[in-house]
Amino acid sequence: MSLLLDSVFIGLLQASPLILAAMGFTLIYYLNGFMNIAYAESVTYGAYFAILFNVVLGANFYAAIGPSMLLSGVMSVAVYLAIFRPALNRGVGPTEMIILSVGVSFLLRYGLVLVVGTENLFLNEPPIRYMTFLGLGATNLQLAALVLVFLVAGLLYWMIYNTGLGEQMRGLANNQELAMASGIDPHRTSVAIWFIAGCAGGLSGVFSGVFTQVTPYMGWNVILITMLVTIVAGIGSVRGALVASVVAGILTAFITLVTKPLYAEVALLLAFIGVLTYRGARTA
Amino acid sequence: MDYLIFSFSLMLIYIGLAQLLHIQFGLAGIPNFGVVGFWGLGLYGTGVLYVNYDVPLVPAIAIAALIAAGAAYVLARLILQKSGQAILAATLAFATIVALLVISEKQLTGGVIGLGTIGYPFGDFSERNVVYGGILIAVVAALIWVSARLRDSRLGRVLIAIRDNEELAASLGKDTAATKRMIFVVTCGLMGVLGGLSAPLHQFLVPYHLAPSLTFAVWIALVLGGKGHNFGAIIGVFLTFGLFDILIETYAPVPTEQAILLPNFKLFCYGLLLVGIIMFRPAGLLGEDGPHTRSGRDTPRPAPEPAPKES
Repeated sequence: MSLLLDSVFIGLLQASPLILAAMGFTLIYYLNGFMNIAYAESVTYGAYFAILFNVVLGANFYAAIGPSMLLSGVMSVAVYLAIFRPALNRGVGPTEMIILSVGVSFLLRYGLVLVVGTENLFLNEPPIRYMTFLGLGATNLQLAALVLVFLVAGLLYWMIYNTGLGEQMRGLANNQELAMASGIDPHRTSVAIWFIAGCAGGLSGVFSGVFTQVTPYMGWNVILITMLVTIVAGIGSVRGALVASVVAGILTAFITLVTKPLYAEVALLLAFIGVLTYRGARTA
Repeated sequence: MDYLIFSFSLMLIYIGLAQLLHIQFGLAGIPNFGVVGFWGLGLYGTGVLYVNYDVPLVPAIAIAALIAAGAAYVLARLILQKSGQAILAATLAFATIVALLVISEKQLTGGVIGLGTIGYPFGDFSERNVVYGGILIAVVAALIWVSARLRDSRLGRVLIAIRDNEELAASLGKDTAATKRMIFVVTCGLMGVLGGLSAPLHQFLVPYHLAPSLTFAVWIALVLGGKGHNFGAIIGVFLTFGLFDILIETYAPVPTEQAILLPNFKLFCYGLLLVGIIMFRPAGLLGEDGPHTRSGRDTPRPAPEPAPKES
């Protein structure tokens, strides 16, 4: 029983950055119909923006979260306008779009490395207090992250399923011509979605950065699992992304507790291939 | 000099991999993002058999290639008839599984410490790396020749038909699933052969060799050169690996303190090249290679071409 409770709790903590990343990734995938590998850099840049505010400019960690997230969103929009939108307008196919996004990812990541170097950086954590919560130990930072992630996830969920923007996005993803004929501005909606997705990725980067360290490869390291979670969850399903990343986090934590961490990853990847076999990549 | 021969030998391996990827993606339309997984099974399979079980190099490569082909068969059974994006994600996951298992199964692979040393398949003499380079040239040239022949064969046309419209090809009575599976298994097995051939080049195997960067380097080269052109793979590898890893890293006068940034600068340029090519010339530098007809190249023929009898 305590093993189960432990894995649920550790799993939730570990999954919190993944939840945000998967939600953002799935929005772009759904709207534009391709897997944006360069989304990894939204995560990485989010963490580096936090370094900029928190370490270089010396702001409090909690104060640095907001601006880093917004800058990450702005960067996402800039990349969309400069590269992905022209490419989509030229009719580049989905597989080529993925390769293009790999190129954009390289460009952004190694451009960053050329500027900041490859050393691992650390965010200045706020004072850490250990707390017990239902008999489980956690730090105030972990709990704050968990609460914030679920707040943002809830907000995103509400935005996609209950507001005009969400409706416009679903309309555009399903039938662009029909959506345009009903007065939806595809340009404005896409910019808004890329901004929201970039913000979610940036926030995910800030949290994984503060729990471990900030490296130029941190986004790249989570993009595979983000991709798989998204595909399994059903492309474009924010609800599914939430559930699948929580399940993935808990499953990893459970297998890590009973065997080696590497086996947990292998088992998770095998499970994903299994799900793909069973139902393929399906749009929600 | 030895280093230059090593670089050229490695470049030949890359050309071979890109050529196989040209068959998989350019002809059959299978987006295999697990190139390093199949190559790595060949590499580590050969290494483990050679070092731990004293199997001679050539049989070790053959067995390792069979293992890679077997893995490809299982994967093909599972996901090859799914959408392209599912294949892409699953092959990428497969390559990650291979890398993780190599790290975790220490008693076989040496884990992060490494596995070695793997020698050349013939005696110890001073020019052995040149001879081995010659063998690689022969293997890769054979590969390119076969794939050039493949394009104009009946099998090649079936593959192109599958890529362009699988339902249509199936409605003409072609067993598209079996054809795709067969070509995937054979090409992945050959990637395993190239992996086995890389083992004596690297001599000492570490899990770092299995990083996904190999997959992306091969993809970038293929897309750059032209995925649908038979020589796209060669041109692409020359422009990426040849230009950056051999010419610039060996000859460019870079001050020592900046030399450490050079690999990063290289990958930055790869990204730039890739973005540029997809934006402005999506078919690659060489473009699409049309069917080779007797009246000339790249001209669509109104009448169906009679099947070539022999040669």
